[in-house]
Formats: sequence, C-alpha cells, structure tokens
Amino acid sequence: MFLNSVVLILQETLEAALLISVLLVFMRLRCIRPFWIISAIAAGSAGAYFFALQMASISEWFDYMGQEVVNASIQLTVLLILAIFVAQNPGATHSTSKPQKDLGVIICTLLLVALSLTREGSEVFIYISGVIGHPSHAQPTLTGSGIGAGIGISAGVLIYYGLLGLPTKWIALSGLLLLSLVGGNMASQATQLLTQADWLPYSKILWDSSDGLPENSILGHLLYALFGYEATPSLLQVFSYIAGMLLISLCAHLGSRKISFSTDQKTTDHNASVNR
Amino acid sequence: MMVLGLGLVLFGHYSVAGTPVIEIEIKDHLFFPATIEIPANTKVKLLVINRDLTAEEFESYELNREKVISGNRKAVIFIGPLPPGEYPFFGEFYPKTAQGKVVVIDQ
Repeated sequence: MFLNSVVLILQETLEAALLISVLLVFMRLRCIRPFWIISAIAAGSAGAYFFALQMASISEWFDYMGQEVVNASIQLTVLLILAIFVAQNPGATHSTSKPQKDLGVIICTLLLVALSLTREGSEVFIYISGVIGHPSHAQPTLTGSGIGAGIGISAGVLIYYGLLGLPTKWIALSGLLLLSLVGGNMASQATQLLTQADWLPYSKILWDSSDGLPENSILGHLLYALFGYEATPSLLQVFSYIAGMLLISLCAHLGSRKISFSTDQKTTDHNASVNR
Repeated sequence: MMVLGLGLVLFGHYSVAGTPVIEIEIKDHLFFPATIEIPANTKVKLLVINRDLTAEEFESYELNREKVISGNRKAVIFIGPLPPGEYPFFGEFYPKTAQGKVVVIDQ
C-alpha cells in the first residue's frame, strides 16, 4: 500500500508541479506576485474535491462516457488557455510589457493552475478516501501519499530554480519549450480518452518501445507524468501531440513577434517625430 | 474455466451496435474473471461492475486504458480492434490483488 501510494500520488503531483513551476517562473519574470498562484491552488483543490465527490454521477453522463468527455474537455481547455497565455509573450520583462497585459497573463495562470489541479487532484481524493476506509491501510497510505506529494513538489521546486538558474535569454525560451510539451501532452491525453470513449476512431499503434523503456519502470512513470510518455502510442495520439506542441510554439512565436513589431513601430514613430 | 465462461459471455452478449460486450466484476479488489478472451481485430465493449464499496481504477499500459470506477457503480471501456496477443490490466488502487489480462485470439 505504501509504495503504491508513493507512486500514484507522485505521478499525479508531478504533472501539476511542472506546469505550476513554469508558470511561477513566468510570473517572476513579469514581477507578478505569487499570491495569485496560491489562490489558484486553493481554488483548484476545492475544484478537485468537488469533482471527486461528483465523479460517480459524472461517469454516467453521455452513456457512461462522462469521465472521459469531461476530462478530455478540461485538457483541451488547458491547451487553449496555454495557447492564449504564450501568445501574450509572458517571457517579456516587465519594463517592455504593457500593464494591462499582466491581467491577461494572471487570468490565464489562474485558470491553468485551477483546471489542472481539479483534474489531477480529484483522483488523489478518490484514491485516499477509498483506501483509508480500511483501518490497516490508513497509515501506510497517508505516509506514502505524503512522501509522493513531497517528492513531486520538490521536483517542481527543482524545475523552478533550475529554470531561473539558466542564462537570462534562455529562461523564457526553456519555459516555453516545457509549456509546448505540456500542450502536446494535453492534446495526446484528450485524444486517448476520446478514443477510449469511442468518440474518436481507433488508429493503429505507431511504435512499441515497451522493451527499451517500459511505462511501468521508474523512468517510464516519470516521463509519463511529466510529458505523457506512452510506450505504445496510437497514430492519432502522436499526431495530436505534435499538433499541440506546434500550436503552443506558433502562438508563442506570434506573441513575441507582435510585441517586437509594436516596439519597433513605437521606435520608428519616435524617431520620425524627433527628426521632424 | 474462466476463459471458457467468458467465451460464452462474449458470444452470447452483443450490444445494439453489434459490438461484443464483456462483463468484468470487481469484488474484494479482484477481477472476475481475471482472464478474458476476445477475437482479434474486433472492437469490444468492457462493462466493468465494481461490487466493492471503494473506487478502483482500471488501468492497462498495453491497452492504453485508464478509468476510475466508483464504488458500487459500473463503467464502460472500449478496447480494440487489437492484434492477437496478451494485454495485462490491473487495478491501480489495489495492484497487488487486482490483476487480469485480455487474451486476443486469432479466429
């Protein structure tokens, strides 16, 4: 029970920890107070509790496909908000960004954290509330869950300081790369769930890397939790992963061009007025 | 015995759309039957009934499936079409006892 709790909770915590730590890095770059993220964590935890309480009923929606449809909808919403987030050039330092742009970044951050925690956290609530019903399981489950969550949060802290420790010009770029992987993961997981629900057609398995890197190995679990690694992904999943990554990369590129264009425009206007 | 029993269930039980339906029960954190047999290259609907009071998560790396089944509730999971082979599944909340496999046979 103990080891299972560690692995299960760690897996659920890691995905959220990666996203939250990258978002915290962008807030730091923009000099936005982390208070916003703390309130989003509280909202997400409340959302997870409510989602867990309603899971039995939600699962029966859409002819017993409610769980897949609602989870896939949350994942696709996260992907969409991520695209809007990066399109606002969140890596621009505070001096070059307009104050009203901060509001957009804050709203996206709040929604991303709250939605991700609602989805990831609900399973944690369901697991713990079920398992601790057995008197002999309560202590190892709670200890294991605490350790799993502790390792997951520590990994998030490592990612946060690891990113901030990079040379300045690489911080935002690395953060955006990680967000594009999160976006790809969201798209791929949503596709898998909708295929499971028979809402999307079956597509053939593209490769099988279970001999070299099985999903139930430590590295497999880690890569699954962080980047959605699958040893036997379907064609549709791989396609969605690439599409999700491309969407985030494209929006980030357009966002940075828009900012540099408006800055160039201002400089040109300024020079023109000076010359006059 | 279990495989034989399931074979009867499989061929005797079809959904309206013609998709074979297979019932699996979860009781005392065990799957009944623990081994199910399905034909190759056929989409199958698994009807998983959780008789325990606590939730379980049906999970399979090989089948790419993951679904929480609340206590005393049932869930539907579509699998396949699959090539012949063995595809293990387990209950993620009680993996020590809740183990099973789907055997896909060429007909």
